[in-house]
Amino acid sequence: MKFNRFLVLILSVATLFVSACSKSPNSTASDTLNLNIGGEPTILNPILATDAPSSEINGLVFSGLFRINTDMSIVPDLVATYSISTDGLTYTFKLRDNVKWHDGQPFTADDVKFTFDKILDPKTNTVRRSNYLLNGKPIQFTVVDTHIITATLPESNAPFLSNLCMSIIPKHILENQDINTATFNRQPIGTGPFKFQKWDTGQFIILVKNDTYYLKGPKLGRIIAKIIPDTKTALVALEKQEIDSGKIPFKDIEKYQNNTKLNVHEFEDLNYTFMAFNLKNPIFKDIKVRQAIAHAIDKKGLTDKILKGHGSPAHIPAAPISWSYPNNPTFPIFEYNPTQSARLLDQAGWQLNPATKIREKNGKQLSFTLITNQGNQDRERSAQIIQQYLSAIGIQMNIQLMEWSSFVKRINSPTDPKPFDAVMLGWSLDIDPDDTSIWHSKEYPKGFNFIAYNNLQVDTLLDQGRKTIDQNKRKIIYSKLYTQIASDIPYIFLYYPNVITGINKRVKGLSPAGPAGLFNPIENVYIQ
Amino acid sequence: MIKSILSFITMLLLITMVSFGIMRMAPGDPTQQFLSPKMGAEDMVQIRKNYGLDDPLPVQYIKWLKNVMQGNLGYSYSTGKPVLTAIVERLPATLILSITSLSCIILIACPLGLFSGANPNKPFDYTVTLLSLITMAMPAFWIGLMLILLFSLKFDLFPTSGYLDPLMSGEPLWRQWLDIAHHLILPLATTVIGGVAGLIRFNRFNVITIIAQDYIKAARARGLGEGRILLKHAFKNASLPIVTILGLSLPDLIGGSLVIEYIFSWPGMGQLGIAAVFQRDYPILMGTVLITSILILTGNRLADMAYRWVDPRIQS
Repeated sequence: MKFNRFLVLILSVATLFVSACSKSPNSTASDTLNLNIGGEPTILNPILATDAPSSEINGLVFSGLFRINTDMSIVPDLVATYSISTDGLTYTFKLRDNVKWHDGQPFTADDVKFTFDKILDPKTNTVRRSNYLLNGKPIQFTVVDTHIITATLPESNAPFLSNLCMSIIPKHILENQDINTATFNRQPIGTGPFKFQKWDTGQFIILVKNDTYYLKGPKLGRIIAKIIPDTKTALVALEKQEIDSGKIPFKDIEKYQNNTKLNVHEFEDLNYTFMAFNLKNPIFKDIKVRQAIAHAIDKKGLTDKILKGHGSPAHIPAAPISWSYPNNPTFPIFEYNPTQSARLLDQAGWQLNPATKIREKNGKQLSFTLITNQGNQDRERSAQIIQQYLSAIGIQMNIQLMEWSSFVKRINSPTDPKPFDAVMLGWSLDIDPDDTSIWHSKEYPKGFNFIAYNNLQVDTLLDQGRKTIDQNKRKIIYSKLYTQIASDIPYIFLYYPNVITGINKRVKGLSPAGPAGLFNPIENVYIQ
Repeated sequence: MIKSILSFITMLLLITMVSFGIMRMAPGDPTQQFLSPKMGAEDMVQIRKNYGLDDPLPVQYIKWLKNVMQGNLGYSYSTGKPVLTAIVERLPATLILSITSLSCIILIACPLGLFSGANPNKPFDYTVTLLSLITMAMPAFWIGLMLILLFSLKFDLFPTSGYLDPLMSGEPLWRQWLDIAHHLILPLATTVIGGVAGLIRFNRFNVITIIAQDYIKAARARGLGEGRILLKHAFKNASLPIVTILGLSLPDLIGGSLVIEYIFSWPGMGQLGIAAVFQRDYPILMGTVLITSILILTGNRLADMAYRWVDPRIQS
């Protein structure tokens, strides 16, 4: 009897408790956008941050001299007007004069100079310094007037404007502080459409509307950026309307397309997945072997299996949505043709051993190890499928999955040759097509040309593309470049995965889906 | 007393030295995180230099030790935050989850284990055993997800994840506590379901062994009631090994649980530690090693003292 009474008490308290707080206040309020940034941001300082969650917040709090438009063109942001000298070496920027920092201080040319000087300062732990060094010489920023600044380049540089999309940080706050450890990095003050309000570690960041924003003010009053690291939990949160936007995995797309609360957007992104050969490896030095591998992989089949139709096969190191992608492709496409592969390998002297079903040459087996990072299921599965394709033509490919940091260490190893045979990876491309850091021979062994690709003509084309300002001329240069690279087969370009995002139907004012973001510009977004 | 303090410090030095060595033997380093054509490879070299990672290992260790003695645990490489702040700000969430779940586990496991052990191979014992084996076989991430799907998505009783609702910060404290408790239920249930079975099995076995002993028979012979024998005589002795196990799990209290924290976006220590391992954030790693080892050493000291108090036969 006593026990029963106790049970009733517990149950009623529990019911009360659940009903008392099952509805949280205002979180679906009409002016609040709930996002999931997927992870704890490391540092809310745009010149130091390297992770996606930090960049997402920084993009709302800060603004740069230029910004990337919905159509991926580069348009002035903090800059009102600008001019370029005829030799392409001096840029003069007239800044907007109605811009204020979130603490009320006026924004001036000194802030711009301070930002780029800080990036160039070796004491700053930034990975972006090399963007502002041309051939080892820094770009000079000179303040002419409170709202006029010039940049003097040591040589002509086409990606320069895209590098000016870098957010500007306030001089008056950071001037006398150690930028690497300043509290500013956790309580940022910018000039962007949203002001930083609160950051609860591991939980959320709250941003509120900047009423003194220099452009048309945002329609949203507040953005709550939640930190939900688990993708499955995030999907449930999206369904429950706890967050308004979320990435949807390929296999779940049909389920969410029929969801009455969500709009599903699919778009092509600026990235591609590839398999790269260490060209210092004796096996891969022979282009016939690389050609044989290229013909042995059914890219269409691979793309269908991995991406379930949400993406397309890749043939060159540029994404189809980039302006630099050739209109009239002249690059080679290696059709799926295992017979041709077998013929090429025979020609290269690799003979099939009927006992082992593996090809041999001078007593050595045609066998190598592909390394890729752990945890990326698409890559792991792609590697397994390629393993099958190669096994069919008598090549033994072992797969080794590695923890990220060890993997990067192996690829970045300063030794020559580097300690790996082949790599599977994806590149996320910049808005500017300059790929010097990936393909130029000077980027080996230190640099991202970790496969030791060395083609003088490619080097020349890269240098030309980097120095030519005119976009039409650059397009012709890059078309030649891509054809050359694709013919050399340093990589097997595999596929371009699409991005699928689910957005709650209550969110309006979105821009057309694309890599520049559905919430770009954020000022247009509102809740209905 | 002086001897024990000295041995405490020596142990601490040894632990940190060995951890420092092991940590640095792992391949990779904090600058080997970025693989992006947008970032310069030569910049990584400069950052390495700024961190002082090019110095010989012993020099780096001594530098770290010197700073620690001045009360400075350093700054995280990835966030630039003071190490102590990074650890302390994650303590409340960690402790709330670990203490409540440990209490619930004990409150459930002790009686269940006792009653199944007292009546082995009866329907009640079979049911408990079956349930324990089933829950032991279920991985935590799966239980967590099932609970979210059922109680959050389907019945809408609890939020999917999180700790404190973002808009609760201005509310009175009791409302905040209530909100945290509301968010706590699902991760708590997941931890308890996963953790209770082992302890039940352990406790049951202890009770069975003890009940077979002569002093229990003697008690029965004296005509004592079964309930009194079980609760007063058997349980006390059966609980001794459990105290040992709980003592050993003391560091887990602040260690946090990565799986649970990850699924439920719970802002605890587990996530900090794992992120630090993957990012090779040495200052954070050394900070956690230092604090946990101090806790473990203190815990051991306390356990020793408790034993002496509980069991007078143990001499110092």
